[in-house]
Amino acid sequence: MVVVTLLAGLLGACDKATYEPYKEPPPSIKVEQGEVQAFCPETIDPTWREAQTIAGVEIQESRLCLPDNPSDIAAFVRGTNNLTMTQLMGTQLSTDALVKGRDLDGDGDPDEIHIRLEVVELNGGSPDSSDPMTTFEIAPGVKPGFWAFAPKTRGMATENFESNVANSMLRLPSPTIRVEQGDKVTITLENSHYFPHTIHLHGVDHPYVKENGEGNDGVPQTSGPMIMPGQRFSYELQPRHAGTMAYHCHVQTGAHLLMGLIGLFVIEENRPNNPVQTFNIGAGHVRHPSVAVRESYDREYDLLYIDTDTELHNIIRSSNDVRKIAKSMNREYKLSESTPDYFLLNGRSFPYTLRESIIVTAPDENVKLRILNAGTSMLALHTHGHKPTITHYDGVELAEAAQVTRDVIMVGSAQRVDLKLSTHNDGLHSYGEGIWLYHDHTELGITSNNMMPGGNIATIVYESYLSPEGMPKTQGVSLMPYFSPEYYQRKVPVWSASDPDGQLGEPQGE
Amino acid sequence: MNDSPERKFSAIGPRGLFSSIGVIALSQLVSGHALANEPGEEQLFRAEAYDASEQRTDLAIDKTMEGSCGEGKCGEGKCGEGSCGSNMRMDELAMVMNENKDNIPKDCPQISEDIKLTVKAGREYSLGHNGTIFGFDANEWRVSPCSRITVTFINEDQVRHQWMIHGLPKYLYPQGMYHMELNGEGQVTGTFIVPSNEKNYLVHCDIAQHMEKGMKAQLVVGKGDGNLPSIPGISGAYIPPAE
Repeated sequence: MVVVTLLAGLLGACDKATYEPYKEPPPSIKVEQGEVQAFCPETIDPTWREAQTIAGVEIQESRLCLPDNPSDIAAFVRGTNNLTMTQLMGTQLSTDALVKGRDLDGDGDPDEIHIRLEVVELNGGSPDSSDPMTTFEIAPGVKPGFWAFAPKTRGMATENFESNVANSMLRLPSPTIRVEQGDKVTITLENSHYFPHTIHLHGVDHPYVKENGEGNDGVPQTSGPMIMPGQRFSYELQPRHAGTMAYHCHVQTGAHLLMGLIGLFVIEENRPNNPVQTFNIGAGHVRHPSVAVRESYDREYDLLYIDTDTELHNIIRSSNDVRKIAKSMNREYKLSESTPDYFLLNGRSFPYTLRESIIVTAPDENVKLRILNAGTSMLALHTHGHKPTITHYDGVELAEAAQVTRDVIMVGSAQRVDLKLSTHNDGLHSYGEGIWLYHDHTELGITSNNMMPGGNIATIVYESYLSPEGMPKTQGVSLMPYFSPEYYQRKVPVWSASDPDGQLGEPQGE
Repeated sequence: MNDSPERKFSAIGPRGLFSSIGVIALSQLVSGHALANEPGEEQLFRAEAYDASEQRTDLAIDKTMEGSCGEGKCGEGKCGEGSCGSNMRMDELAMVMNENKDNIPKDCPQISEDIKLTVKAGREYSLGHNGTIFGFDANEWRVSPCSRITVTFINEDQVRHQWMIHGLPKYLYPQGMYHMELNGEGQVTGTFIVPSNEKNYLVHCDIAQHMEKGMKAQLVVGKGDGNLPSIPGISGAYIPPAE
């Protein structure tokens, strides 16, 4: 009886159901992806990747798509005053960009270091063009405005006459500066930009005032006047302690620092015969590590993380009137409402991080990583395949018992962490050779314009998995769709490369 | 080509001790004896590890660099623009590229006249132009066709500035460019010759954003061929052609 009632209800014996006429869902359409860039542009000179000695300076092999120019490295170790004319002409540096003086303690390396920095604007505007000027691309098709410190250069700001691309000295992030413990260092900022700036040495031992009484801390509210456009000012220091520190502009710091005016400042332990590589342009692989680092490590990488709210960065293109740019940036933009949409490692987002910020390694190595979080929120750095050991916080060595080994390392704003990455395959420090991602695990950090994968994703790549042109020999989905502007403009269905029938593709009419 | 140019340092400026080391070191290197020092002068460091035979011997201001970049590398930025069969003179303070004192352009029967210009650059010269921050003391210079122009370029700022002219004939000026650059306050003089066509040449400083923020000007030969856009005090923004 109960069964019959149920069946009657199911068959709609009392009221008949109605339905809409069948309507075929629209087909999937193919979204045109536009120009897909090559993984590695062919303009690079492959000899740059080789280990070599130039002008007596030993330069490590760098099997990246975009290695540092060995001529530049030699100049940064010797100083621009210790080069032949031909060697200097092989770089873009000015004659006085880096002057190395006397060996004060007689240990075989110069201890008087005079660094000259300028301020460069990348992806700036022009009244005569809607295209950005002196360009630096952080992701395919993405060029927000940036400011960076750069070693003093000569000649044109662009790489050549026909191009609008900034020359290789002018880029994000501001370069890592390296000096030796005890060096007498002078840093001259020649403010070639249209806004006032200063240099504040963060964590670096420096006196509050110079010998002549002028303020030396770079803070306008306490230490001294700002360096106005067209002016220069020198900071003097003789740091007593080694460690991974930072330097940044302290004018309207919330904006200027995030615009890019921040870099690593490393004081290396004093050793004999240790002329250091004073600049590491674009951070990343250090091709001439210091004697102290070479004692314990096979390779060294500088890693600078920062986030970008394009609403701030595009203000510089909103007008050509410097007063309007100042008003907009200083009095209209609201940092409290900022929504970062790009996350950079060494000035680039994925997939461009793969061209420059791969950590190349081999089994049974120790790799030194110096990390600065220059961004606005906590970095939760995760390394696949490895558990590195934290050796230093803010440039101060931790007691051995305090050196934690873990796979997500927290770094707060402006903090520095030194890591020892061991590639010994013991299932703890390393699980073996491969292509192992390393990235921010706060999920926002792996997005670009809210598209994934993006942000600060990069990879630890063992040499056996690396092609000669610096491309990781991956075996997953093709990376090529990520090398087009359309992908990060959110136009391309994300699985289209794996979905030839378009079952997860773009429905027509959307 | 080897006339001693009219070139003076004004004050070296408050560059401090270490830049003096650099200047002295360079002059010592010119003599080929970098390690000898005068009483009271700083000694340049030279580590044993470095190859002591490699010394700069060519920083005298009249040095000509010919094809020093090898084949196929003209203008690629590696050796500086315009090197390769061009000339450049350079020292601690100043650089002049593609100077031309006596190669008369092929469309000129002779040099029509010698003109001397003095150009000052610095933040001070932006004061007459609201919204800019750097400037030249004039934004236009008028010269006659086939004239030989000697420019004394004076930088009154403590940062780098340039006086760079584009659009000259490429057979005479690599990449059509004549370029003067000062590393800081001071001055330098150089010479070039314009051809006969009546044209407006772009003159600017190529350091990032210096042109956009005031350092843009024009050299008008004869009646010229129309103002270039965005020259302070003279013209407004470029209007792209209607689609």
